[in-house]
Amino acid sequence: MTMFLNALLFLGYILIYPGFLFCFVVGMLLSGIDRKLVARMQKRVGPPICQPFYDFFKLLGKETIIPAAANRTVYLLAPLLGLAALVTIQVLIPVFRFTAFSGVADVIVILYLLLIPALATIMGAAASGSPYAGVGLSREMVTILACELPLLMVLLAVAKSVGNAMGTGLCFSLSEIAAYQSAHGSLLLRPSMIPAALAFLLVIPGETGSHPFDAAEAETEICEGMLAEYSGKPLGVYKLSHAIKLLTMTSLFVALFLGGLGTGVTALDALIHVALCAAVTVVTVSFVHAITARLRIEQIFKFYWTVVAGLALISLVLAWFGL
Amino acid sequence: MFKKLIEESTGKSPWLFHINAVFCNGCDIELVSVLTPRYDAERLGFQLAGSPRHADIVVVTGPITRQSLNRVLRTIEQVPEPRCIVTMGSCPQSGNVFRGSYAIAGPLSKYVHVDVDVAGCTPKPEAVIDGLALAAKILREKRRAMN
Repeated sequence: MTMFLNALLFLGYILIYPGFLFCFVVGMLLSGIDRKLVARMQKRVGPPICQPFYDFFKLLGKETIIPAAANRTVYLLAPLLGLAALVTIQVLIPVFRFTAFSGVADVIVILYLLLIPALATIMGAAASGSPYAGVGLSREMVTILACELPLLMVLLAVAKSVGNAMGTGLCFSLSEIAAYQSAHGSLLLRPSMIPAALAFLLVIPGETGSHPFDAAEAETEICEGMLAEYSGKPLGVYKLSHAIKLLTMTSLFVALFLGGLGTGVTALDALIHVALCAAVTVVTVSFVHAITARLRIEQIFKFYWTVVAGLALISLVLAWFGL
Repeated sequence: MFKKLIEESTGKSPWLFHINAVFCNGCDIELVSVLTPRYDAERLGFQLAGSPRHADIVVVTGPITRQSLNRVLRTIEQVPEPRCIVTMGSCPQSGNVFRGSYAIAGPLSKYVHVDVDVAGCTPKPEAVIDGLALAAKILREKRRAMN
């Protein structure tokens, strides 16, 4: 009986609360807030907040064209693989002290899982057989490579900082980081972690492929790049994945740097978490989108491996010296 | 209920793809002005798509020259159903000042079914938004007919 209940609980975790349904609704809302705010900053009225929902359901009702040159299986499965990986990450990220599956995965697993959606998009694009997608996927690979180094250094800095304080050397477990923060206050309050937090904030627009780091999906020059051949339902799933990635990256930021703000009540914590995610989205995605123009791919790479990696390195060195 | 949701959404999120069938560029600029802060068609869900596969509404400008005819038709065929075709300006409807030229293959309605014509040289942005809103309504009806 308890086993059955446990299975039901796990299913609930995966499908409803930190899992699919939560991701779907909150991710779409974040994306809607982003679009609305960018419009307001450009002195436009802007689409309604629920516009991404309309876009998604419209795409579900459209014809799905599979190009003659495409590899059918990979072409159709790639978007689903990316979506599944993103929902998995969201289930593993703690919401303050609440973790659906504690002790199962740590920061390193999250780092690997974060690669899967990008790789799935690349696979789908390569399978579509379009030259525009080819250009897009080569740019996407460079963008991933550019983001990966600063991201890894930020995670190491956080792990070292928390590990030092707990006397265990390096602490990679997300639930332990969350527990430490709820006991000793958010990591953002620690001066040595501020450069790492800034670096992470700069990684978010790169990982989610928003302005000015959207060279891979440049709609005006390479026809939306990797998504050029997609239409109908698979395109809808990609749009959904993109919205959920906003939630995933901002959730990771909240879990790593703002973990001390929880109240202990699960429902209230979830609300605070969503509000913080929305705030981080506004700061890192909307503001940056509204005030910048698209960078060339080598500029993106240079920016991430000098400025952002430099910021992360400062934190890493400071954490290593126990500050 | 699900069908109803898809139908509602289809009318509220029409993405545009713009084909220039060799033209003086006047209508192209007016179409872009529809998306600027002054008129802001995005409040109705309109968005410019980069690829015809993402589009719902195809906006054709220009008098359809013999060189561009095949390309226009091929691009329209790449747009997934349900789709709407809107002509903008007088050129794709009648040929405008180019009428009778040996280089012109138009009007567009000789080759495909055109849903909405927005006349004018060039049409005012208000007229364009009106035509696009009408196209969105037709799109919704087409989606209903697909069930």
